[in-house]
Order: sequence, then C-alpha cells, then structure tokens
Amino acid sequence: MKRVQFEHSAVPYLFIAPQILIISIFFLWPAVQALYQSFLLEDAFGMSSQFVWFRNFEDVLTSSSWTRSAIFTVVFSVLVSVLSIAISLFLAVRADEVIRGAKSYKTLLMWGYAIAPPVAGLLGIMMFNPLMGDLYKAFNSFGFEFNHIENANDAAFIVILIAVWKQVSVNFIFFLSGLQGIPKSVQEAATLDCKSPERRFWTITFPLLAPTTFFLLVINLTYAFFETFGIIDVSTKGAPGGSTATLVYKVYVDGFLGADMGGSAAQSVLLMIMVSVLTVFQFRFIERKVHY
Amino acid sequence: MATVTLNQAQKTYPNGFKAIHGIDLKIEHGEFTVLVGPSGCGKSTLLRMIAGLEGISDGEIIIDDKVVNTVAPADRDIAMVFQNYALYPHMNNYGNMAYGLKNRGYSKAEIDAKVREAARILQLEDHLERKPRQLSGGQRQRVAMGRAIVRQPKVFLFDEPLSNLDAKLRVDMRLEIKNLQQRLGITSVYVTHDQVEAMTLADRLIVMNGGVAEQIGTPIDIYEKPASQFVAGFIGSPAMNFLKGKVSDDKKHVTVGDGVMLDLDHDVEAGRDVTVGIRPEHLELLKDGEGRINAGVRMVESLGAETLAYLDFGANADNVTLRLQGTHTFEKGEKLSLSVPASKIHLFDIESGQRI
Amino acid sequence: MYQSKWRIFTNHTILVLGSLFMILPVWIAFASSTHTREYIFQNGLQFLPGGEFFTNYGAILFDAEATKGRVTALEMLFNSMVLGLGFAIGKVIISMMAAYAIVYFRFKLAVPLFWIIFSTLLLPLEVRIVPSYEVVANLGLLNTYTGLILPLIASATGTFFFRQFYRSVPDELLEAARLDGAGPIRFFIDILVPLSVTMIAAIFIIMFVVGWNQYLWPLLMTTDDQLYTIVIGIKQVYNSLYEGGQIPQFPKAFALTIMASVPPVLVVVIFQRMFVKGLVETEK
Repeated sequence: MKRVQFEHSAVPYLFIAPQILIISIFFLWPAVQALYQSFLLEDAFGMSSQFVWFRNFEDVLTSSSWTRSAIFTVVFSVLVSVLSIAISLFLAVRADEVIRGAKSYKTLLMWGYAIAPPVAGLLGIMMFNPLMGDLYKAFNSFGFEFNHIENANDAAFIVILIAVWKQVSVNFIFFLSGLQGIPKSVQEAATLDCKSPERRFWTITFPLLAPTTFFLLVINLTYAFFETFGIIDVSTKGAPGGSTATLVYKVYVDGFLGADMGGSAAQSVLLMIMVSVLTVFQFRFIERKVHY
Repeated sequence: MATVTLNQAQKTYPNGFKAIHGIDLKIEHGEFTVLVGPSGCGKSTLLRMIAGLEGISDGEIIIDDKVVNTVAPADRDIAMVFQNYALYPHMNNYGNMAYGLKNRGYSKAEIDAKVREAARILQLEDHLERKPRQLSGGQRQRVAMGRAIVRQPKVFLFDEPLSNLDAKLRVDMRLEIKNLQQRLGITSVYVTHDQVEAMTLADRLIVMNGGVAEQIGTPIDIYEKPASQFVAGFIGSPAMNFLKGKVSDDKKHVTVGDGVMLDLDHDVEAGRDVTVGIRPEHLELLKDGEGRINAGVRMVESLGAETLAYLDFGANADNVTLRLQGTHTFEKGEKLSLSVPASKIHLFDIESGQRI
Repeated sequence: MYQSKWRIFTNHTILVLGSLFMILPVWIAFASSTHTREYIFQNGLQFLPGGEFFTNYGAILFDAEATKGRVTALEMLFNSMVLGLGFAIGKVIISMMAAYAIVYFRFKLAVPLFWIIFSTLLLPLEVRIVPSYEVVANLGLLNTYTGLILPLIASATGTFFFRQFYRSVPDELLEAARLDGAGPIRFFIDILVPLSVTMIAAIFIIMFVVGWNQYLWPLLMTTDDQLYTIVIGIKQVYNSLYEGGQIPQFPKAFALTIMASVPPVLVVVIFQRMFVKGLVETEK
C-alpha cells in the first residue's frame, strides 16, 4: 500500500460510489438471487415454488448429464490450456529469436486476440461443414471417417481445435513479452555456458518463464471454463447429445432453454465455488509476485 | 527565514517500531543543518516529520514559534527536494515549478515572474518548455530545486537529493546547493548518508544512529571530538582506526597491538581497558627508529595526491590505515616507523563506546 | 547473439507456419465471401477471392433482407460500436475512480468495499446469467443500451488494472503535490489522470475489443432485432442458412463474419504497442 494516503471523510466514498452502486444492482443482487433460487423448486410454469433445501444440489450432483458435463469440462479445459500454452510458447521462443521480420511475425500472431469467440467458432465449424468444409473433406479423404455430427470425439476435437486457435494469440503476447523481459546478458551468459539451444531453453529460459506460464495456466483455465461459451454455442451447441457441453453451457441450456430455474441456479452456485477457488489461487499468486 | 525547533520529537509506527526516540534540536534562521547517518537510522523519517508527510507520535515540532504537529504539509510553508526528484512527468518544467504557486492562488503574472526568476538563478531558462524526461540528471535536479525556491518557503528540506547523480555531477551540485542556500539565506535541513556531503554542506551536523541523535555540532567539532565510537567511525574517510588498548599504570601511555606504547594525555584511570581511535591522517611517518611504533606494510594504494598504506599492528589488531600526502613507494613487508601526537588519540569506553 | 544457419531457417519456417495457422481460416472466409453462393455451393470453400466483393458486402451493409432480419449490417455495426465504446468508457471512468479511492485513501469501509469489488472477479456473468437477466428485466432495461452495457461494467477487472498501476506511481509524487498544496481531487485531476494517459488508452483499447466481442449477454438481452450487435447478427444469419430450401447464402454469411472482425482487429493492430503494454501490465 501507499506510504502516504489522504485522510478524508467524504471524497473516497464519492469516488467509489459508482462502482459499488453498479455492483450492488447488477452483481450482488443477482448473485444472492442465484443462491436463493438454488434452494427453490419451481413448477414448470414458474407459477409457484417451494423451498427444498439442498434437493436441487442433490439432483444436479447425482444426474449423469451433469457429471458427464463436468468431466468433459475438466478434460476440455486442461487440453485447451496445455495445448494453446505449448503452441504459443513454441512460437514465442522462435519469434523472440528472429531478427528479420520480428515485428511482422508478432503482428501476424497476435491479432487473433481481437476475434470474438463465437466468430472463431463459426469460422471453425464452417471449415468442417459437410457441404463444403475443406478440412472435413481432407480428413475424410485420408480415411478418417470423420463425422462430428454423430461422433462425440470428433465433435470434441473440433471444439478444442477452435478454442486453442482462439487462445494462442493471447498466450503468445504474454510469452513474448516475458521472453523480452529476460535480460540479454543472461541469455548471452547462457550461450557461453551451453551450446544446445534446446537445453538452454529448458534449463534457463523456461524456469525464468515459470511465473508467466503459471499465470497463463490460470487465465487459460478460466477462459476454457467461461469464454468458450460463444465457441460452443455456434459450433456444436453441445451436440451430439450434450457430449460437448461445458458446465457453463449447461447452465444456459437448462436455465434459459429448459426453464429449470432451481437446477440451473444450483449449477451456478456450484460453478461459483469452483471459480472462487481458482480466482483466489490466482489472486494470491499475483499479490505475492507484486511484493518482489 | 525561520527557525525550526524539535522538542522531544518521537515517532512510533503502528507496529510498535520506534523510529525516532525523542530528539531535541533548534535550527536557527538561515542555518544549514545536515542529518547524516547510515540507512535505517531515522534521518529521512525525521525530515518527513518536519515536512508533515509523516505524523509525530509525541513531542513537538515548531516552525517560527508555531507548533505545526497537526498542520497540513502544504500549510507549513516548507519546500522539499526529493531523492528521485518527484517531478510531475506530464508537465513541462515551467509547469512543474508553477504548480505549487497556482494552487496557492497566485496570479499568472506573479507566477511567471517567480518561475522566470528561479529559472534564471538555476540557469534553466532554455529548458522551461521541456518535459522532465528530456533533461539530464543534473538538470532535473535543478528543476526540483526550482520548484522549491519559487515559493520562497520558510524552510528547505532536502532528502538525499544528490544520490542519483554521478560522482562528478554530485560535487558540482553540492557546491551549487551550498551557494544557493547562502545566497537565499533560507533555513535548510538536508538528509544524506554521504559523510563528505555532510561535512562540506553543514553549518551544523547531526549524526544519527538507531533513531537517536548521537552528536550535534559543527562538522569540525564532530571530526575533532567525536562523542562516540560510532560517530568517530562514521565521520572521516578513510574511517578511523580502532584498536584494543590498556592504559598503563602511570596513565602516561596506552598499549595497543603487540605491545606498542602510545603517549597519552587523557585523564583516565590506570589499567583501564579502552578502545583507542586514531585517524589514518594523524599517524606520522618518521625516519627509521625514531618513532614509537614499528609496523609492517601489508598493502599500498596510491591515489596520486595521497597514499594509503595498510599496516600490520600485530596479531591482536586489524589492519591499521595510514594516510600520507603525495606519493610514496613502500615494499610489501617494509617496516615503517610511526608516531601519533597524544592530542590526536581518541579513547572510547569498551562497553558504551562513549568518548573518554 | 550468435545463431546457426539451421536455427535461423527453422525459426522462420515455424513462424510462417504459425502465422498461416492463424490467418488461413480468416483468409478462406474472406476469399469465400467474394464469390456467388452457387459457386461456393458447387466448389466448396475458396482460397482465392472472386469478383463479388462489392455485391455481397454492399448487400449486407445496406439491405436488411440479406442479413435475414430487420436490420442491416450497418446498423449492427453501429450497435456494436455503441456497446464497445460505452463499455470501454464506462469501465475506464468507473474503475479509475474506484481504484483511486482504494489506493490513495484511508477510510472506514475501505476493507469491506474492497472485498465487495474483489468478489465480482469470482463470479463471471456466465454463472449468474439467469438472475442477472431477471434483475434487468425487472428494471425494465431489456432491449436498451443501458441494460446492455451497465451489467457488463459490474465486473471489476478494470479496477484492478488501475489499482496495480496506481501502486506503481512513486509515493513522492503525492508528497510533492501535497507540499504544492494539492488536495485529493486536484491531485487526481492534475497529476494522476494525466499520468495515467497511456494506461487509460491501453485499457480503453482492451475494453473496446472485449465489449465489441460480447456474446452471451447481448444474446439474452436483445430480443429486438434493432439492438442486435454484429456478433449476434452473424449467429442469426448462420442459423437461418438452411431455411427456405434455397442454396445457402454462405458468401454473405462469411462477409458478415469478416465485417464483425475487421474493426476490433484493426484497433488491436494499429494500437498494438499500447494494447500489448496494457495487457501485459495485468500480469504484474
């Protein structure tokens, strides 16, 4: 914190008021309602509801569709995070080394940040469109019998591919700036001590990038949890049979399309708990880093 | 022009750490006072207390007969030069100097006159339109001083203002600050950890250690009669030599190292164990055999204008530094014959470190 | 630094392949958007542009029929612009102010208020969509710009960016300003805001892109076509691709996709340095 601060009665409240007001109306209120609703059972028309304690949670946790979605979400998130981190780290290391065209490569690899997830989803699914998608045709001409409309694994493959494609640019930006933050003298000292670039990378560069990697892992997991909503909604829509629906997507489907308010709210609350753990983890980490 | 008085000024942090233990001090009109000490001794805290940037836990701070303990910094009529200059990076140099005047409601014409006058004094006239980052370190330093002098405050506060400059510039700016302060005659308090700066700038020097003022006096007083072993070691470069010694039975001598006898004219009880302090420049080199002290040379550093030799005073003593004018060539291991006038010998209590 | 010839060669090969991986999908979409629908239907996706650029893009920009709804792409672009700008401006102003209170003041409710703000990071909009929708509906804000933008601002990411930045501002500046007689509001306006200009620009750019790309919330909020953003618009178009037994209008759908992407991509590329700086600051 600051060594010196103002001590003033009214001013800080005045400055913080707009934020608190918006948060209270559009965040706290809905959050509390979600919590409240998760204990209610509503009839199909939303006409009456009764307080059922933890029954919604029991229903959710014991339902096979939720468990399946949870497993998919974890596998999906881990794969997306690891793959996109690996690819972008690989690219960033090379981009950091080149001298000629360094700026162009940087631009070419980072603009993807600006693409909206649903747009990425559409581009991806069009490539696999059975009527005209090149990738769809290419895969099948190799004899893969690729069919994402019926095969759950093929559908998952598409969603993961799109999600990775969308996330590479963000990771690339962070890795590149992390690499450029490593003092040149350290890299030069390493060149004198170690001939092989690969060995140098694993013994010097990668350990120095560890904080960035860890930070990105958290960011990517959060991304895979939430921001992939747009990708899924325009590509597979959870099909076939809910096999590619993440937990967030399921909250939307059950709550909005299925009108199961209590069940959807209970799912929300479960998600909140998961995210809280993730965020507290991340925040503690960032705070600690600030002190050094 | 103003006086600054501290009455038992104390500072205790909320975590219980006592940074300042109660300091009494009266700074006269136009006096240049320097607070010097190692890092963590509380000198900056004390300065910031005078500025009002740090609260005072107990005691009083008085500027010109007025207790300012709870007066806001801006209302104390002081100006401060910071170690990192703290210039507003988005304002040009003119804006930096004018900002405080603007906030005090001066008219545009008045501000302009004052800023231009300050710029003239500091030779910044050609740089007024530039931003701080376009200036060299020395020029930034000048702008920071300009920001202080435009207001013609009662008191100038300097918080290690030269420590970010290179060695040569530091000497130039030191002279300039002294010159400026004398010309403007403004009461000044200056914090530094550099004892050369402290000695050259100060009318009065306050040597601080562990939140306590170890000694207050003129630079020469402190150099000649350091009140404690800490002060003696801190002021003077190279630092004073300290040796364990025992006062002889006739009180005329003190024995150090491997039986080296030094003359003494202190009033001290016979047989007492003491710490003997000798400044490197007070050891006199004599012809062979004429001095009481015979010591071998361990190492020599020639600086051109002077020569430093590190001497072996026997197994029980650390290196003893000898400082001689001009160039001398000594062989390693060569025996030198030396003496110290009794008046130049300092004795300190072994336990408390206080001067005897 | 020394590099072997082989290393230099592989570096470029890998980077070119990586760039192609990123660009090809978008390029194919663009190339395919400049052909007639019959051509695409018969020959599949295209790598080379055709001659229908002006026809296809002109149609969706000005003819609501081409976007399968009651609004043209131009109107959707306008809505996206309002969302992007409103979101970015609102977020920057509100979070700058809140962060100032948190960092520079000692006040009674500082700790609980900080935790309230922090808690918004725990619960992204995605997990509380149903109740959020109900609140906005109760306030009568469905199908309004206010209802579209304000709930999105509730998340405190911007506040943390600025908090981080303020903490990196040297304490001495505040001290110098106080000696210069500046009070809290004057310090904020005279010193802190001008000092934050680059940071403000960077966050503004990031937030504009984030706002422009919003999907879930506008999807729920806007049942009225008139408020469709372009991102929502393309979904509608793709959804109705196979309706009516006609040949699917792939080229125009692609054209709409490209148009949804061009503004944010341009912003990111043009303000690349600022954008990267702002993004990376968040890590520190």
